[in-house]
Amino acid sequence: MTVKVEVIEGGVPHTKIMIGGLIVALVCIYLTYVNQLTGMQGFAFFGGLGAVAAIIWGSHTIKHLCSYGIGTGVPSAGMMAFGSGVIAMLFATKFGVAAPIVAIIIAAIIGAILGYLANNVLSMHIPVMIQSLIEMAIIGALTLMGFSAMISGSFTFNALTSGTVTILGLALPSYQVSLIGGGIIASIFMLGGIAIQHPFNACLGPNWTQDRMLTLAAECGFLSMIAAAIMSLALIDTYAALISLIIAVIGWYYTYVKYLALSKRDAAGWLDSKPIPELEGH
Amino acid sequence: MSAIGAKPAAGGSLDPKAAIIGIIILIIIIALAYVLVGASFAFMALIGIIIGGILIGFGVHFVPVGGAPAAMGQAPGIATGVAMLAAGAGLAGLFGGAWAYAAETPDLVVSVVTGAIGGGLMMAITCFFVTFIYVYGMGIPCASGKVLKDPLTGDTQPEYKSQGTEGHGLPFISWVGGVVGGLFGGAGGTLIYIMLLDVYKGALPGMMDAQAAQILPIAISLAGIFAVGMFLVNAVLAAYNITGTIEGPHDPKFKRFPRDIIASAVASAVCGIVAIMIVAM
Amino acid sequence: MDNIVFGIGITALAGALATVAGAAENTESDIGSQGDPNSQVQLAPQMGYLHRIFNKAVAGEPPAWGLWIALGAGISWAFMAMQINPILAIVLGCIVATLVQGVYATTAYLGRTASLAKFGQPVFVDILKSMTTVTMAHAFVAIFTTVTMCHLINSALGHPFPLPLLGLVWGIALGAAGSATGNPFYGKERQYQSQKFGAGVPIAASGNIVRYAEAGERNSLDNGWFTAKLAGPASGVCFGMIVFLEIWRTVLFEPIAAGWGAIVVGIILILIFAVIDRYAEVWARKNYGPYTAPKKEEASE
Repeated sequence: MTVKVEVIEGGVPHTKIMIGGLIVALVCIYLTYVNQLTGMQGFAFFGGLGAVAAIIWGSHTIKHLCSYGIGTGVPSAGMMAFGSGVIAMLFATKFGVAAPIVAIIIAAIIGAILGYLANNVLSMHIPVMIQSLIEMAIIGALTLMGFSAMISGSFTFNALTSGTVTILGLALPSYQVSLIGGGIIASIFMLGGIAIQHPFNACLGPNWTQDRMLTLAAECGFLSMIAAAIMSLALIDTYAALISLIIAVIGWYYTYVKYLALSKRDAAGWLDSKPIPELEGH
Repeated sequence: MSAIGAKPAAGGSLDPKAAIIGIIILIIIIALAYVLVGASFAFMALIGIIIGGILIGFGVHFVPVGGAPAAMGQAPGIATGVAMLAAGAGLAGLFGGAWAYAAETPDLVVSVVTGAIGGGLMMAITCFFVTFIYVYGMGIPCASGKVLKDPLTGDTQPEYKSQGTEGHGLPFISWVGGVVGGLFGGAGGTLIYIMLLDVYKGALPGMMDAQAAQILPIAISLAGIFAVGMFLVNAVLAAYNITGTIEGPHDPKFKRFPRDIIASAVASAVCGIVAIMIVAM
Repeated sequence: MDNIVFGIGITALAGALATVAGAAENTESDIGSQGDPNSQVQLAPQMGYLHRIFNKAVAGEPPAWGLWIALGAGISWAFMAMQINPILAIVLGCIVATLVQGVYATTAYLGRTASLAKFGQPVFVDILKSMTTVTMAHAFVAIFTTVTMCHLINSALGHPFPLPLLGLVWGIALGAAGSATGNPFYGKERQYQSQKFGAGVPIAASGNIVRYAEAGERNSLDNGWFTAKLAGPASGVCFGMIVFLEIWRTVLFEPIAAGWGAIVVGIILILIFAVIDRYAEVWARKNYGPYTAPKKEEASE
């Protein structure tokens, strides 16, 4: 616990990232609703893209919050975000087409109360605490909703709790083979929870750069999307799952290569099979 | 846990104004729940969830966690993050409690106690292995840095502290603290799970127009993931309260627990009412 | 009777799988310098000690392992829901989870190292290539055994939780047990091998980790070799005992006195561990002796 974290100025301001992340995530999650309107499932991948947008925003919020030193690890902030987010998100799915909006409102209320508790009752006195925890709860809820919509094709409660199981060519309705009944929600919970804290946790240090961290956030998002796309094979049409998978792999490859390039740009050296360099004065 | 530096300058005292506002929020939520669902089982479930949250938050304060310095033998405690260690123990308890509650004739008390013992057993084994590694692997005796005498055994501590450190290992009081923390965490997690499960088992069949047996996987999954979520929220809040590390019940930071009880109660109430409203609305 | 014998067999198998998982988990995290000893690997360049140690802090061990196991379990569940044979489904699910782990490991090393550019710490591409693959191999062993264990608990012993939720619960418990048990041995005994044995590392020595091996410069494979001799097996036995005793007391004693049997056995087990722990503590005090003469009596606080 000895690494000094410095607040670094410059780059894209946080409000811009926040507004961008919120709008893109919301629009993408709503685009999955085209599935309901057209009766197809090919638009499920938009849910994953919405989740990626939320994760990028979330990584910057964590950076914003953890720059103050919260006394415990960066990962705990991600767990907090998803712990409060999952409750808001599942409650919101009851409201049909209004679900994403309701999720944002409920998550904001929960986040505000948690922020107040941490800041005032627990006397943490961190200026951005309340705002950050509001954002984190919303991000947690939107990420979960995005991935849920991608895996099951829709973000309504009924779609998340019922599926079909095919036995000997017969399609039977089943509650067990569904996003919630099968417990896949637990996998998404951890996928998002790690993806959101990893970019800042991995890039912290005196030479932190914003573009590198945000690229890594996108990489983590697409990586999670690949895993989610594989899981979606069980719950939606194969063609829709394959579209998600292909888009996720392309997005992941692009961001991963870009992240490698940015790391090479920022690193002090890029050595292959070389001894430890001599430092002056040692 | 890999973490970053500067500790916040959070004081140890309770801010009375904030505490009162917290209690007012709590009362408003409980009143709101009463208005919405009446004195039904769902209302009692909310009370149960609040108690469960308090148990979790209180239990975390017992768990001896040293963070990064503990891994170098520089500070006493278990070398990992407090929220996650508590989660590991509490969820192991939840595993046992949920299993006990799946019996043919489920009993609330038996299940909650089973969950508590599950968490306590997990911590008993883990804490023993910490001592084992320190004593037989590294040749280091246990010594507390915060007290002169172990309050339970009366062993003197400072002369067993090696030079330049704040102590190391788990003195017996810390071991007991770990087990007690596991007991509380396991009980709290199980209580939240059972309360939500009963609410969902009662309401989902009517809501989704299906038989109780068909709906059971949904009810279990929903209650399980909510229990995990609320557990993490309460554990992280408690970790914020002790700013990351604590030696156990003898640590001066332990005295901060009253304000965390308020925070845990309010947080559990907020999360709990939303979780109950999924079926009650 | 058959039922109980079957239950005990599954319990033993689950415990054995958990033991393997714990050992592999700790070796993986020690090679990757995950968990708390990571802080020293991160600190060393700032103190002027450049090194060739792998530095992959994905998160603390418990949440990271919560993800690997929950993900392996989730994908296995999805394949099983597609009517794929459970064994094949678990293997495939664990391969995907291992690949995710590998990608996270590379990005963590690159990110942490690039952010230390100010202190001259370079990225060693050969470290990235050779260490990541070794941690992935250990991760696969740990993920596969834990997911299999969860599947047994769910399908053979009838635990109500679905597979991914069990994966989350036991993943976090695995990481918690592994990091609690194994981290001090790696952090103190290996990273600070040059410091006095039988004492904690003085705070003043922080960052001065051992960087040279028997021959040449130390890398994390040397650390994995070292910690595999005690920290890994101890973590394995720790996690194995947690899983075994927890299931054992439920399977065997749950039917007695409407559930109270399992509770009483649990309390007895806790008391037994209390006695063993106290014995080890007193043994250490007697044999290692105080570092300084006890002069507290006359100081009379």
